[in-house]
Formats: sequence, C-alpha cells, structure tokens
Amino acid sequence: MSPSSSPPSPLQLADDTIAALATPSGRSAIAVVRLSGRAAQEVADRVLVPPLRDPRRATRTTACRDGARLDDVVATWFAAPNSYTGEHLVEISCHGGAVTPALVLAALVAAGARLAEPGEFTRRAVLNGKLDLLQAEAVLEVIDARSRAAQRLALTQLDGGLSRRIATLRDDVLELEALVAYDIDFPEEDDGPVDHARVIASHEALVVALEAMLATAPVGELVREGASVVLAGEPNAGKSSLFNALVGRARAIVTDVPGTTRDALEAMLDTARVPVRLVDTAGLRESTDAIEKLGIEVSHGWLSRAHLVLACGETAESVERTAAVVARIATAPVLRVRTKSDLHPASPGALAVSAETGAGLAELLSEVERALLERADSSDFDAPMLATERHRMAIERARDEVVAFRRAWLEVRHPIIVAAVHLRTAANALEELIGSVDVEDVMERVFARFCVGK
Amino acid sequence: MQTGSGVEAEFDVLVIGAGHAGTEAAVAAARLGARVGIVTSALETIGQMSCNPAIGGIAKSTVVREVDAMGGIMGRAADLATLQFRMLNRSKGPAVWAPRAQCDRGLYRRAVRTLLEEHALLSTIQGTVRGLLMEDDGHRVTGVETIEGRRFSARAVVITTGTFLRGRIHIGTGTRIAGGRAGESSSVDLAEQMERAGLEVARFKTGTPPRIDGRSVDYSALEPQASEIEAFDYSWSHFWPTPRRGASGATRHPSQLPNWITYLEGAGKEIIQREIGRSAMYGGAIESRGPRYCPSVEDKVVRFPKAERHQLFLEPEGHDTHELYVNGLSTSLPPEVQLDVMRTVPGLEQVRMTRAGYAIEYDYYPPTQLESSLQVKAVRGLFLAGQVNGTTGYEEAAGQGVMAGLNAALLVQGRAPLVLGRETSYIGVLVDDLVTRGVDEPYRLFTSRSEFRLTVRQDNALRRLAPIVEALGVFSADERRVVAQRLRDEDVAREIAESTSITPAQAAVVLEPAGSAVLAHAVRIAEVAKRQDVTLLSLFAAAGVGGELSPDAVTTAELELKYAGYFQRERVAAEKLRRMGAFALPADAPYDAMRSLSVEARQKLGALRPSTLAQASRVPGVSPTDLQNLVIELTKAGRG
Repeated sequence: MSPSSSPPSPLQLADDTIAALATPSGRSAIAVVRLSGRAAQEVADRVLVPPLRDPRRATRTTACRDGARLDDVVATWFAAPNSYTGEHLVEISCHGGAVTPALVLAALVAAGARLAEPGEFTRRAVLNGKLDLLQAEAVLEVIDARSRAAQRLALTQLDGGLSRRIATLRDDVLELEALVAYDIDFPEEDDGPVDHARVIASHEALVVALEAMLATAPVGELVREGASVVLAGEPNAGKSSLFNALVGRARAIVTDVPGTTRDALEAMLDTARVPVRLVDTAGLRESTDAIEKLGIEVSHGWLSRAHLVLACGETAESVERTAAVVARIATAPVLRVRTKSDLHPASPGALAVSAETGAGLAELLSEVERALLERADSSDFDAPMLATERHRMAIERARDEVVAFRRAWLEVRHPIIVAAVHLRTAANALEELIGSVDVEDVMERVFARFCVGK
Repeated sequence: MQTGSGVEAEFDVLVIGAGHAGTEAAVAAARLGARVGIVTSALETIGQMSCNPAIGGIAKSTVVREVDAMGGIMGRAADLATLQFRMLNRSKGPAVWAPRAQCDRGLYRRAVRTLLEEHALLSTIQGTVRGLLMEDDGHRVTGVETIEGRRFSARAVVITTGTFLRGRIHIGTGTRIAGGRAGESSSVDLAEQMERAGLEVARFKTGTPPRIDGRSVDYSALEPQASEIEAFDYSWSHFWPTPRRGASGATRHPSQLPNWITYLEGAGKEIIQREIGRSAMYGGAIESRGPRYCPSVEDKVVRFPKAERHQLFLEPEGHDTHELYVNGLSTSLPPEVQLDVMRTVPGLEQVRMTRAGYAIEYDYYPPTQLESSLQVKAVRGLFLAGQVNGTTGYEEAAGQGVMAGLNAALLVQGRAPLVLGRETSYIGVLVDDLVTRGVDEPYRLFTSRSEFRLTVRQDNALRRLAPIVEALGVFSADERRVVAQRLRDEDVAREIAESTSITPAQAAVVLEPAGSAVLAHAVRIAEVAKRQDVTLLSLFAAAGVGGELSPDAVTTAELELKYAGYFQRERVAAEKLRRMGAFALPADAPYDAMRSLSVEARQKLGALRPSTLAQASRVPGVSPTDLQNLVIELTKAGRG
C-alpha cells in the first residue's frame, strides 16, 4: 500500500469496483456479498465458475479462488443503470457464518475489487440518483436495524412512506403559500381579496399535519434506539435473576455498556414491536448514589434516562418502597413486579414473575411493550414515522415557523408579506427532507385556484 | 474594425427597436458616454404602449423605480403622462404599497421621445433593419443594415424588437396577418439571420383586448373608479429634477380621468362558449403558449365556467380621444363575435368597436442563451432585451433595457459587465431567472419570485441601486446631489427617530385616533413608530421634528424601524447569496466528471453552465449537497 493512501473522501468517489458483505456478519444460513462498479462483471467472472450470462437472473454457480472451490453460491448481476447503486452490480448469496463469506469477499478483492467503505454502496446509489437522501438514510437504518420493528419502520420509509407523508406536508405548505401569494400579488382580481378565514383554515391544516408528524417522532426514536427499561429494587430483590431470565427467554445479546465506568449490564431484547434495552445496574459498582442510601439499588443516571422502570421486590411492601423512591427521580412510568412468585403467594397491583419457573415472564414482556407504546402515545404504529433526529428537528422548525407566521400576522398584525417570511423559512426547513418548493409550484396553484388576469 | 464603405455613421452601441427596452438601453448607454444610435421603423412610435396603458403594479412598480434609480426614463415619462393613478395595496401598509399609473398614450410617447433627445450622444434613426453586419464567421456583430440600404457600424448591438420578429396577428381562426403590432409590419429578415447565427428560437403568444369608442358607452350604467393621484400627490420619480414641475413641486401630470367598471356576465359568457371554436387560441390556429396570469377571456370562460361574472375595466386611452381600452377582455375571437360579446355587457349595449382584440404569436430566443450581462453567448457584441427574451410587460422590458444598454457600453469601453444580484433588485431577479432558469411561458415578475421582497421595495430603489450605477459614472453632478439628498433624508429621519423623545401629550394626538395605547412617559420616537397603526410621519409632525425631510424618505425610515427583525433575516440571507455570487464557476467546469454530483445536477449544470455558485444554487435539480460537493470538487481541482 502506498504511503500516501488515505481513506477516499465520500465526496470524491472513484469509478472503481467495490465489494462488501451486505448482510450482518455472524451466524446466519445465508450471507450476501455485493460487488459494484464499472468492472463488477469482470471481477465476478474471475471468481464465479461458470460465469454469469444473463442479467437479472439468479444463477447457481461456484465461487473459486486460484482454481480451488470455495462455496456453492447463487449469484445475480444487474447491468447499470438498473441496479441498486446505478452501477454494474453483482450479488452473490453464499453460505453464512464467519468464514465462507469472508473467503468469497477475499477472492473478489484478489480479483480486482476493493473493500467498500461503510455505507459506500448507498452513497453511490444516492450520487447516481437512485435513492434520495431520505431513502438513503432509511437504507442505512435497515443495515443496522436492531429489531424487526425497526426494520419494518426502515422499510416503510424505503417504500417512500415517509417521503409521501412529507410530500403531503409540502402540499399543505404550498397551499398556504399560494393563498398568501395571491393576497400579495393579485389585489384586484375577479375573485376579490382572499378570505382570511380560508388562509386560517389552510394554516390550521398545516399545523395539524406537522404536529401529527412530530407526534410519531418519539416512537421513531424508540424503535431505532430501543427503549431503556431499568431494573430497580432493594438488595436481593431478584433483579439479576429476572434480568437473566428475561435475557434467556428473549434471545438477547448481553453487553457491557461501553465507557470508562463499568456500571451497567445491558441486554437488547428482540420483542415483537419495540426493541428493549434491559438495564441492570445493581451490584456492579460501589455507588455513592443517594438512592442507594435509601436502600434501593439502581444507578441515578440510568434511572433518569429510563423509558420504563421495573420496580422489583419480593414482597408487596418492598415493591411499593422501591416504586416510591423511583418516582422521586424518574419521570418514566413504573411497572411493579413481584419476583420469586414461586416462593410467595400472589398479591394484587403487581405482576408476579418467577425467574425460577418462568411463570409470568411472557406477561411481563407484553406488559413492558404495552407500557412503552402507551408512553409513545401512538395508536398508529405502522404508519411512517420520523426516524431520525434530523427529520424531527426540521419538522419542529417548520412547525414553529408556521405558528410564528400566524402570530406575526394576526396578533402582531404585521402585513402578510412580512409574516410570510416565516412560511418561507418553514418551507426551506422541509425542503431539506423532500426537495425544493419552487415559486413556479406556488404560482401554478394560484392560477389553478383563482381567475387571475385583469 | 472593418467599417467598410458606405457606412453612414459609426456608433459604439446601436439599439434596434424603440419600445420600453430599446429606449432604456439607448439612454443607459448614452449616460455612460457611448455614441448611441437607436433604429426604429417609425419614429412616431417611439415609446409606444402597445397593450394596456398602465405602468407599474405589484412588483412591476418596483422595477420602474429601479429603472429610475439607474437613470432610466420610464418613471419620468409616466409622471408626465399619468391620467389615472392607484396605489395598490394601500390598506396593507407601505411595505407593500405598489403604485400604478395609467398613462395617456400620446403623452407617454412624446415624453419618451423628448427624454431620449435630451442626450446629445444619442441619434434616432428611422429604418427597418434588414440584417446585422457580422464578422468572425458570424460570431461578432459589427453593425446593422436597413432595408432602405443605410448601413451603420457599431461595436455592440442591442436587439429589442418585442413581438416584431416573425410576429403574426390572429383574429379568429381565419385571419392571420404578419405584423408586430396592429397596423405595423413584422421583420422576417432579421429573424432568419438570428437563426443562422445559431440562436435557438421558440414561439410565444400573447393577446390584447378590443378598444371602443367612448361616445357609444352608456356611462350611467357604470361604476366610476376615480384616480387617487390628487389624494396622494404621488410622483414616481419626484427626486429627479424635471422641467415640468408645478408650483407645488409635484410633477405636472395631465388632469385625471376615471376608469369605468363593468362586468362580463352570463349572456356574454354563453356567446364565448358557443363560439369558442372560432377563437384563434381555441380553434387550433395558435399552438404556442401564452401567459397564465394574463389569460384571454376565452381562457377565463373555459377554466372558470362557474364564475358568475368577470370584471372589465374601461380605461381611457388619452385626453385627445374618446377611445377606451377594455381591460379584462383579451381575445382572439372574430371581430363580429367580439362585438356581440361586448354588447351583452352593461353600459356597452350600443358600443362601437374602434379596434378588434387580437392574439399575436412571435419569436423569442430562450434566454438561457444569454450571459448575465444579456450578451448572447454565441455572438460577441450582441445583446438582447425585452420581449425577445420571452418576457412580458413594459417594466420587465425596461429593466432589461437598462442592463443591456449599460453592459453594451461597458463592453465597448472594455470594462467589466454589471450584474445585479437577486438581493439588490427585482431587475437582478428578472435577469437571473431568465439566464439561469429560462422561461416556459411569457415571464412576468411577481413578488413571490424574489427571496428578498421585504428589503427590495419600490420605496428604497434609490438606496439599493443608485450607488452602484453612480460608481459607473451614470449620473451628472446635479443628479448626484439629488440622490445624495434623498438618501441623507432617510438617514436623518432615522437619527431623529432614535434620538428624539416624544411626550405622552404629543403622542396622544397620534395614538388616540389610531386606537393605540397612550404613553405613560416620554419615549423615543423610534419605539412608538414600531406600533402597527402609527406612522413615523405623524409622530414627527406631533413632535415638531423632521418637517424638512422628504415624506417618502421618512416612510422608508419607518419601515426599517417597524420590521427590523424581518429585514435582518433577509439581509443575512442576502449576505450568504452575495458570497455564493462571488464564487465564480469556470466556464469549462467538467461537470460530467464530477462523480460526487447527482446525475441530474451534472446534466443541468453542464447544460446551463452557471457563472457563479449562487446561480448554480437556483438551477432546479441541484441540491444543497450538490453545491457543497461542487465547491469541494472545484477547490480540489484548483489545488491539484
């Protein structure tokens, strides 16, 4: 490698051929390796025996290196520009696992491809006009979707669901802009001045649409990042057993939380609709937390960031004591959990679970999910949602500006042309998401709505 | 320079056409010291208003003021010819006021000719241009030749021929007349030569309504619309010295005449619906596109069938005639149908038609073939302005005329072209839209076209543009004094407002009638002027200050106080645009090879070749990310 080599700038893509594993590494039945670029076909021909002939046809063949057979694969080539990246692209489905995909990838690199930078396929797709930025972001989220729910959300966006919704918003902005433009630019037409009630109605429709969009934002964040569900309880309340039991049941991945202090154990639970990060902070660190002085084991920081707290205890009194302490610190809802139900009789007001027998665990998981969804306040979980902070901020900005327009116009009584500055800013904020709001679009609406032309 | 034998006169700049673009181009070039010739087929038609008789309106009035601020003549000619005046949007406050002056056509024409002839360096020439004299294999223009056989050399030529290039007038489906205006022939030779020079040509159509004999109108059935000029005593260009001022200091305009308002109702609409197939527009005789905002009455009836009625304005053509212009009834129906329709209109039952309405199709040159200076990219020294660039409206033509005239003279003098940014003016918006976006219908200005419609207003045109053209040497010493005085008045008004307090008793005189809360103690005038229903002029009067200042200057100062926050927003955006405007894009930028740009951006930029980043930012399909990448690509290329 030459000493001057540096990672290629994302803005200056060469036309070279890149290869990468397209499916997550780790245990799986099938893995997909992708190859994209001007020489994709030539590179593939050096590896696949027999070579691929017809485009867009899945073909069974063999991946080889230096004459040695690596794996039986199914491969398909897509000719530019009709491919995901807009370039010549080959997809090779090989057997999964840690070794085989790596060998196939290595063979492709040996045949002239280079390993792709993270997200480089998607970036090429964007640069070749195959994906808009919004779709690209959704793709990047498919790649590291943490659960089925997140993947579904990502796919809805890929389908243009969010784009459509924002396009509708844009439509609402245009409608309002058109009314305002008519009011300013056409003062003496057949239709007379625009009825202010009509402007107000259009304004309200827009605010409602923006608010509805924002209302889905917390859900989006929840789905993408996972909800933080924190275990709290007195010492020996059975938190760690519960943690392990839930983790075992839900096929979770347990990780130490990265950071300088090793203060929590976190597990990603793959529940049906919302990914859950189950957090057990007990007993891992000497804590000077005031909470601990109150006899409850839980880290203050995790508690304040929690989406849901499980107040655990062996007895009803223990559960209530924990819940009372938690309520002082956490704003999140609290779910009362009676542990060791195999040892104690049930009591009302708390879910009874047994880490030993597994009793109540399924109910607890569905209760956790119900509480999280309730908190996110969404009855329309399958609707397109705002999945990134960038989207949320843009829409929030637009909403604020649209509200400011009305205040400036009706309360401060600025001339509408002055207040309309807010509308333009709102349109610009949304433009980042979906494209430009052009004067021609506004004018076309004016001419469609009003008989203009003295 | 090859002048050849038989050249009658040598000019720096020759202007072909003496309408609203041509006359401004000629004056602008002459103001820069160029020897100018202006060629028109009839000297009597210099400054002809071929369509409606009004100058100004929303956005357009700002252009008139901009033309005026750059030394143009449109505002002054309108002042001298106004016979009916309205301040549009009066109730919405001075930030959106838009003056509109209907003019006496004859007075307007004569005023324009007089103003032209004030310039010693400017020669008027009657003649119809047969062709351009060219060199460098048709890539450089060196003069013109008329069909009368007169030849003139020029180092730059400005073509402002309006609808005259292969103009074809349509009245009904059966009548087609070659002509550039009713009763005037069109030019074909020049059009053919332009095509040979490699210019792409396209066709637009526009229309005009019939005119009628006022003596056949029953005014008792009509609603008069009185002129507002007495109440407002407005003058477009009050800050210029003019020999025709009255004792009051206002421009001396003729006495005012009313418009008359009537309506096209059901019976007339039915006739139009029945006869629609005989309209040139709807009968298939015309295929080119017309402006949506200036629809024919056929369009109105077809597109808005449910509309109960359409208003018509009967507008006086002048003091020397009873002829009226029927505004709102643009049509290409056969004359007898036009008459039938009009006779259903209240007040017009016995009307006599003096001229039939007509539609006209004409050549224009898609303006993306122009540089920002309005010079044709493919032919050195050749400039285009006005309707030939696909625009509509006297004001849009005049604005381009000024720019083309200035730039033609600057080219001849070996100086850098003047390109106005969008943040400076509607003229800047107009030219930029034309050369970067092109047109797909006749282009008209709207406030919505500007990103800077709060800070680019009719009242502050002088502030925005006079310093720019003054630096070029457009003004005489006297004019510089007038401009400086007006701008100083604005500054002084703001200083007084900021530094003078008004007592509760003084302010009460203003606040109580306005229904605004009275003051508890003395407050700076600037603070009180921020209230919505309070004018700075009235506060100055109440406090007994600023009486020596021009009222217009005080109003401009008031707007700056009232909407400071909003103006600031625009000025921040303007600064950003200026920086992008200063980032030049090489004419040979290898967009095709810029892999970081979207395919669409590569194609659009490659086709349009914008000259600055600011222009690139307005090319449809070029995203903010593309722009960032473009900067990086060019910076890297520059380093490499």
